[in-house]
Amino acid sequence: MRVGFVALRLAPMLVVASAVGARAQTLPSEPITLAQGRVTVSGDVSATVGSRDPGFFDYTDYEHSALRLLRIDVSAVAKAGPHFSLLGEVRSENIDSLRAYALYARIRPWTRRDFDIQVGLIPPTFGAFARRAYANDNPLIGYPLAYQYLTSLRPDALPASADELLQKRSLGWLVRYSVGTPGADRGVPLVSAFRWDTGVQVHAKAGIVSGTAAVTAGTVSNPLFSDDNGGRQIAGRLEVRPVAGLIAGASFARGRFLSDSAVRSALGDAAATDQDFAQTAWGADVEYSRAYYLVRLESIASAWRIPRIRAPAINESLRALSTSVEGRYKIIPGLYAALRVEHLGFSDLVGSMATLPWDAPVTRVEVGTGYSIQRNLLLKVAYQHNTRDGGVLRRVENLGAGQLVFWF
Amino acid sequence: MKESQRTQREERTQRERPVRVFARVFLIFVSFVSLVVIQTSSQLAAARNGVIRGRVEIRRVMPQVERRPGVTDLGAPAARDVDDRLRSVVYLESAPRRAFEVDEGGRKVMDQRNETFVPHLLAIMTGTTVDFPNSDKFYHNVFSLSKPARFDLGRYSAGRSRSIRFDRPGIVRVFCDIHSHMSAFILVFGHPYFAVTDSQGRYHIDNVPPGSYAVIAWNEGNASEPKPVMVPDGGAAELDFALR
Repeated sequence: MRVGFVALRLAPMLVVASAVGARAQTLPSEPITLAQGRVTVSGDVSATVGSRDPGFFDYTDYEHSALRLLRIDVSAVAKAGPHFSLLGEVRSENIDSLRAYALYARIRPWTRRDFDIQVGLIPPTFGAFARRAYANDNPLIGYPLAYQYLTSLRPDALPASADELLQKRSLGWLVRYSVGTPGADRGVPLVSAFRWDTGVQVHAKAGIVSGTAAVTAGTVSNPLFSDDNGGRQIAGRLEVRPVAGLIAGASFARGRFLSDSAVRSALGDAAATDQDFAQTAWGADVEYSRAYYLVRLESIASAWRIPRIRAPAINESLRALSTSVEGRYKIIPGLYAALRVEHLGFSDLVGSMATLPWDAPVTRVEVGTGYSIQRNLLLKVAYQHNTRDGGVLRRVENLGAGQLVFWF
Repeated sequence: MKESQRTQREERTQRERPVRVFARVFLIFVSFVSLVVIQTSSQLAAARNGVIRGRVEIRRVMPQVERRPGVTDLGAPAARDVDDRLRSVVYLESAPRRAFEVDEGGRKVMDQRNETFVPHLLAIMTGTTVDFPNSDKFYHNVFSLSKPARFDLGRYSAGRSRSIRFDRPGIVRVFCDIHSHMSAFILVFGHPYFAVTDSQGRYHIDNVPPGSYAVIAWNEGNASEPKPVMVPDGGAAELDFALR
């Protein structure tokens, strides 16, 4: 009655073989839960290998290039009832020391209302990209210019004149000024995606609209753990989700940018340090996705006001505008293609010899692909074309990079 | 003239004799074979199918899959349902010949509700089409990278549904590309002798032809060793499992 032919056994054996295969996947694929589910821990590891970048287009500081980076993130949430959670993330770049990236308490006063208060080293209120923390949230390898490219401005050191600032165009990766802290250090991006600010954040949601407001110690370009100027940044974000797949957001932030020591160095010890040498930023972002494609557009405008020290003086606010368009299309299951086109421009500054943008404008086109080896193991390959209009560093650079991302 | 006609008739008769003999032998053979087939069929029809039933006990702690800590979220995420991960599938390791002649080709549903696949575990036969409706107010994106069925249904909104037909047996892990904590299993069999346990771990596999089989219990990627069982004619066989 029962038939033992190999062919007839094939189908159920396939089932068994698959079961063995499922067990053979040794890498964790889900967050680790402890203490009866009250503590959840997840990780994100990305290893990036890329071309040399002598033009410093992708550096996030003097030592770290976003295209040559081993990043290890461990994040955790500990829930103490329905009203209180503690969240944190530690990060290591190139196996250097561990750094707390996020550490804050989330309080939900009413469990039935979408209203939360977050206190500590909190997630960015401003913009959209900075909250895409995990490497697999970024379809490409490079970061958007607004969040990564280092301008020549520093919060602790100042150019004495417009000429001095114009001389430093394109040197944001390591810049030195005659006023303030004397050593060379990195400049700031428009909005930092690599550090979070410290303060209090309030978030509320009603239907398709959500709003967030925060008061923090630093600014969007220079988030701080401890304040260095006695000023506070106020940031706000309004987000609308009118239909599934469409998210539109608008952000605003304004906060004192320069450190007290830099202001005193510029204007003398008798100068009032509470003068409003602030960064003001506006942002707008739209994301639309449907079926197999996703499109994101984000534009950020920022203005910094710095003291007038010597002629030719910097009379106007130093403004910058970044626009980024990003798209992703899934070609077949597990394989996608992505493209990002972006430009970062700067306002003109009148020097004694010429009128030029105060930093060298940069345009970047990045194209890439991602292949899921397994659900939580992603291989990305990208090619980047960078052009810089001016400055003393290399003006055109083509960079290639590969990245392996594992998360659980 | 008459003599020659008679001679011709005798010659024709002699030529046709072997053909007639062969025809008679063939008829006898066909009749014999028919008798054997009819008898076997009636014997087959007389054999009554049985049932395998029992219970699967999960002896390991089954923590719920939590969301990844949303450190970048501006507020707490909405509450969601939890997966029913205690259900198991019990199936015959190898099945009777007739099992593979069945082509069910039916439809099943795996819903997406409150950021959870419902049911979390689905057992189907090859040829079955599974519908994946989205019952949430936001997008979901069902996909699988499993070898038996590699697919991506793309992002689609509430009230819409996409389908996939499963033609190859095996284990298919299903995920949502947007909500990483959403996962489900679809076990695709080439025969109909399988059952999903109820909330108490009980199962029964119906309509199993009498005979000896090896039975396996499976839960969340862990399979038991095959257990032998004898299904009596028209009776029931009891078989319990404990999965660690």
